[in-house]
Amino acid sequence: MEEEIRTQTEIQLVAFKLGREEYGISILQVQEIKRMTDITRVPYTPDYIRGVMNLRGSVLPVLDLKKRLGLESNEITDDTRIVIVKVDDLSVGLIVDAVSEVMTIAQENIENSQTVVTSVAANYLDGVGKLENRLLILLNLEAIIGINQETAKVG
Amino acid sequence: MDMNQYMGMFLEESREHLQSLNQSLLELESDPSALAVLDEIFRSAHTIKGMSATMGFTQIAELTHEMENVLDLLRKSVLKADPNIIDLLFKCVDTLEQLVESVANETELTIDVNPLVEKLRQVANNGGAAVTATPQSTHENTAAAQDQSPESCSQVELSDTEIQVVKAAHDQGLLAFEVKVELRENCVLKSARAYMVMSALEELGEVFKSIPAAEDLEQENFEFSFQVFLVTSAEEDKVQQTIMNISEIEAVTVIPCKVPVAEQKTDQPNPKKEVTPAGKPDKLVEHHVEKKIKSGQSVRVDIDKLDSLLNLVGELVINKTRLEQIGLTHKLTDLVETMEQMDRVTTDLQNVVMKVRMVPVGQVFNRFPRMVRDLSHELNKEINLIIQGEETELDRTVIDEIGDPLVHLLRNAIDHGVEHPEERQANGKDPVGEVRLIARHEGNNVIIMVTDDGKGINPEIIKAKCVEKGLITQAEADKMDANEAVRMVFYPGFSTSKVVTDVSGRGVGMDVVKTKIESLGGRVDVETKVNEGSIFKIRLPLTLAIIQALLVNICDEIYAIPLGSIDSTINITPGDIKTIQNQEVILLRGQIIPIVRLGKVLAIPEKANTEEPEELFVVIVHMGDHRAGIIVDTLIGQQEIVIKSLGKLLAGIKVIAGATILGNGQVALILDVGSLMQ
Repeated sequence: MEEEIRTQTEIQLVAFKLGREEYGISILQVQEIKRMTDITRVPYTPDYIRGVMNLRGSVLPVLDLKKRLGLESNEITDDTRIVIVKVDDLSVGLIVDAVSEVMTIAQENIENSQTVVTSVAANYLDGVGKLENRLLILLNLEAIIGINQETAKVG
Repeated sequence: MDMNQYMGMFLEESREHLQSLNQSLLELESDPSALAVLDEIFRSAHTIKGMSATMGFTQIAELTHEMENVLDLLRKSVLKADPNIIDLLFKCVDTLEQLVESVANETELTIDVNPLVEKLRQVANNGGAAVTATPQSTHENTAAAQDQSPESCSQVELSDTEIQVVKAAHDQGLLAFEVKVELRENCVLKSARAYMVMSALEELGEVFKSIPAAEDLEQENFEFSFQVFLVTSAEEDKVQQTIMNISEIEAVTVIPCKVPVAEQKTDQPNPKKEVTPAGKPDKLVEHHVEKKIKSGQSVRVDIDKLDSLLNLVGELVINKTRLEQIGLTHKLTDLVETMEQMDRVTTDLQNVVMKVRMVPVGQVFNRFPRMVRDLSHELNKEINLIIQGEETELDRTVIDEIGDPLVHLLRNAIDHGVEHPEERQANGKDPVGEVRLIARHEGNNVIIMVTDDGKGINPEIIKAKCVEKGLITQAEADKMDANEAVRMVFYPGFSTSKVVTDVSGRGVGMDVVKTKIESLGGRVDVETKVNEGSIFKIRLPLTLAIIQALLVNICDEIYAIPLGSIDSTINITPGDIKTIQNQEVILLRGQIIPIVRLGKVLAIPEKANTEEPEELFVVIVHMGDHRAGIIVDTLIGQQEIVIKSLGKLLAGIKVIAGATILGNGQVALILDVGSLMQ
């Protein structure tokens, strides 16, 4: 199986929108996509952590992805979704403006982000995918969630 | 054959037997003539041997085999259990433990068992030589001498313990029988028949001994006959009849057991001096009988399965609360009535699950007698360890965590608390120091205490050292009373200082102990008197998963305060709040109580143009002796909540102890009262 994927060098992505930009996460890391629900604020956390939500009996932290990436956070609309991702056994919800589709992209069409973007948020990016006339920003979830970082423990 | 599926069982049982070996060896050390204990040791070693041989762990099998040889000579009183042999046996157990753990970790540990095997052989050979030269010289009583060939006649020697069982049975008007069972020669499944006989007899009464031992019966290590000793209220005929009903039985002889008064040993076992193991000799009988009853009726369950069972019950409680609310909001009388029924069932279910998860602290305490023995030898101190309340039950998750802190506390008590024998004598104390490990229930808490009658902690020295270390200023030290000073041993910076440890003798890793206990939702306290000793007292919640809590409202947010830390709730007016140096306080029944404005502490965004209401709700909480009042907007009510962790990402947030899911599916945070008051 693995061999096959490697020779095909295609990855499946869940594509979503943050403002006017389009982003993508590997479908293997996405657990499910939920509509916006009640989120309980947690004091003493960084501002990009919206709070915690109830996912069928377990409590998950929810991140405002736009704030995390240094973008202007805007109103919650009917299209707003929470993408539940799982990284290293840790499930986290990410608030996105809208989920567009699931797509396949060839590895050769992905460009290293460092050559394109040089902002602070560059750490959070894995690359940029080119798809006909669309650009898809691929996210590095480990960095965004802050595993092995002290980001979450700001007092 | 795939052995992996038996691996878990092998490890678990080996560990259990090693634990019991440690315990029995301690008992043997304090009373070298205890034959019943020797039997116990022999059985454990034998079982480990059998299991490891089957699993292909030859080293373990070899070592236990040699141990058995020595143990057998001890049993036959050819050898005497002197300190050398006991030490050697302890070393064997240690090596076995290492071997078993290396099997568990799948590491290829290169442990050489040969030196030990060699030593065991030497001991066994010496013993053998001694028996040919002066066969009776090592014997102290004749009863043991006859024990050499127990299978030869029906008048089997019973050990002291077993005699006591028989006597106790007689006293209760029960009968004791020796049942000799002969199987047919063509019997195919001997062990199965033996099992049927055993279980049939266990239904009639209590089986307290069998020849060969139960393990051997299971493994078909017997010819066609075996003997079973039981205490029962049934008549001889009935016993006979019951067994004859089982097929493939050739003959059954039932002989009443007489109490062999003459055989009773007159010399009392030496009063225990050094380490007293957990079980006292007079309790042995009870233990014995109890074990037998339980063994037939328990099931080994994977702790993960229990965890998921508890989670499911938690879900059920949440959903039940939710249904109750629906019933109330929509005024559905039928639903409300049904929910009342269901409430009872869920509460019962929850209690049962909780009870299933409860294990006696004895499981943790068991390993301490051995540790105390080694430590006191190492430090040349004489310690009498007394364990009380080992049957006290605690949640499994707590049990797993409590071991290390207790090791710390015991080590401290022995290393630094108890003085050397000469020093004790000079101070007019018994040269043997006493360390107690006590567990008991107190309301919804379990208290575990480690006490010693050593030199205690001198608050002045602690203060001086803290000042020297720059942990506190001289002015702070002067203000401190003795209690506060002693509590400084838990101060994180304190433990890192070797100087303090040498002088004051306390504080090694005490902050670690404190952190651990607090992470379990407990508290640790210390009481001490110079020259009289110290008491370290741990208070732990019975269980961690479901608690009663008071839900409160601040602005639009709901928080849960654990009921265990709530004293009362009161109403005050804003005028009741006074200030002392800008700290808001109220006066309640003569006590000054500091006020915490939860809205501010939690940085809750305040609504515009809200005036201070005429009436304020205050929840009075306590943590130990300290009290505080928490101002909240409204009280929602008392409710059972299921504690959920906030997860790795949000772990360690100040003031928040966890989260819970309310009836409407909303997440509410649980306040950590302890950190709120700091």
